[in-house]
Amino acid sequence: MPNDLAIRIEELSITYKVSLEAKRTLKNAVMRASLKQKERTRTIEAVKSLTLDVPHGSVLGIVGSNGAGKSTLMRCIAGILSPTEGRVIVNGKISTLLALGVGFNPALSGRDNIILGGLASGLNMDEISDKTDEIAEFAALPDGFIDLPVRTYSSGMYGRLSFAVAVSMTPDILLLDEALSAGDAAFKEKSFERMRQLCAEARTILIVSHALATVTDLCDTAIWMHKGSLVAKGKPEEIVDGYLKFLNVGSLPSSYEDM
Amino acid sequence: MAWDGTLTPMPVNEDFVPKIQVFEPHRASLPPLIPYLKEFWTRRSFALELARFTDKAEYLDSRLGKIWLVLNPLLLGFVYYLVVTIIRPGGKDPGLTRLDHLLIGLFTFYFAQNCVTAGASSITAGGRLILNQAFPRALLPFSSAIQSFQQFLPTIPVYIFVLVVGKWAYPTTIVPGWTWNFLWIPFILICTGLTGFGLALVFATLNVYFRDTNKLLTYITRIWMYLSPVLWLPNTLRGSMKILLYINPLGPVLDATSRVWVSGESLNKLSFYGSIFWALASIMIGGYFFISRERDFAIRI
Repeated sequence: MPNDLAIRIEELSITYKVSLEAKRTLKNAVMRASLKQKERTRTIEAVKSLTLDVPHGSVLGIVGSNGAGKSTLMRCIAGILSPTEGRVIVNGKISTLLALGVGFNPALSGRDNIILGGLASGLNMDEISDKTDEIAEFAALPDGFIDLPVRTYSSGMYGRLSFAVAVSMTPDILLLDEALSAGDAAFKEKSFERMRQLCAEARTILIVSHALATVTDLCDTAIWMHKGSLVAKGKPEEIVDGYLKFLNVGSLPSSYEDM
Repeated sequence: MAWDGTLTPMPVNEDFVPKIQVFEPHRASLPPLIPYLKEFWTRRSFALELARFTDKAEYLDSRLGKIWLVLNPLLLGFVYYLVVTIIRPGGKDPGLTRLDHLLIGLFTFYFAQNCVTAGASSITAGGRLILNQAFPRALLPFSSAIQSFQQFLPTIPVYIFVLVVGKWAYPTTIVPGWTWNFLWIPFILICTGLTGFGLALVFATLNVYFRDTNKLLTYITRIWMYLSPVLWLPNTLRGSMKILLYINPLGPVLDATSRVWVSGESLNKLSFYGSIFWALASIMIGGYFFISRERDFAIRI
């Protein structure tokens, strides 16, 4: 892989089966086996032979409607899901914010949760201890809240804390899935600033967002995914434009059909 | 509007350390084991801290706090002792020897059982962490095993206290004096922990696919205890029934527990090799079952 690439995705496909049973239980499995019935499943092709290179220092926005495979793609880049076909090569330390409330145990304090999140992402105790106060400050938690159980936090505080943890890990590659919806306007501005700072330090950022203004404001490249396939990639304004037209018209432009 | 493919190469940030990771298809097959174990070892402090924090959270709202760690096994021992002495009154029991066997057997059994039950739900309970971060998932049941060991430790002074008080109140109670055979204790605990952790890996995986596994587990562990030499002495098994002791993953190690803790004896060959066999078999079978499927967990949760 060339040195200037942070992520290389080669012919990536991710398929999985989901059960159509209301609840998957041992009891149902035994009942089915005794009646020699097969489990009713549906195969989901979440990502279909997608190829993409992301250079170091770029900020890539990913747009697409629900079920386009954006989150699945992000999880695969993070190494959380394995590819069904193709491969993903990642060069650098990854930090993720893919589901709000990173492993947070609501009974524990914010500080304890920051420590757990940091250790899970591979930092050592000293590195995290140094960062906890900085994280609490960035998340703009009211005085003393950092040592109170997370269950006492408002949803805004919870979201801000998750975001603060993810950006403070000084990652080489930062994966954010709808993370910027947390917090009020002031916090949003602060998050944008922090991300611009990360970009200036030549770190790579991938953002999945339905807030299209975020993509045009922050990203230098964007891709548009639809039903698991890559429809287009290019300058954020153009991609967002095309995507918006698609949302209004409801069908893919003919020029994309062969992509 | 199509992209011309000319992105200017960006400078790499200053503290960048190249760390190439390649993710390739593997479903019901093992990922490369050496990097997996390396990652597992690097993040061991996560498992330790998670055990400490979970323990802290568990007793945070309880008025008696950590006293429950001692009170709970003691009360359980008392309840089972009543059951056993009512069922078999007037048995040949020198003083409180039977209670001593029951207590240390119960404490050791609960150490393994807690590894299994807490470990079994550790993956489904770790939902957000699993959806958000890539790390060796076996760290979660491993953390439960550490927590179970930490909860087992305070029961040792409880056992010694009952032993001493029992001897004082009932002088016929058999109390082994100091013997080098006590050096077998770490071996017994390691085998118990490994067996419990291995079985936890199996049940944690099953629980991801079938959410009622945990319900079934409560019955399995209860039957398992009745089939283990906890409420009965290993030497009461006669003839072909002795097989019960060795087809039970905890049979040999509980036999060893009773020999060392209660009688101060050394292990016999069957309990020694049996303990090693079940520890290794559980880890290998559980490890294969779990690790080969763990990349599937994020979809199933």
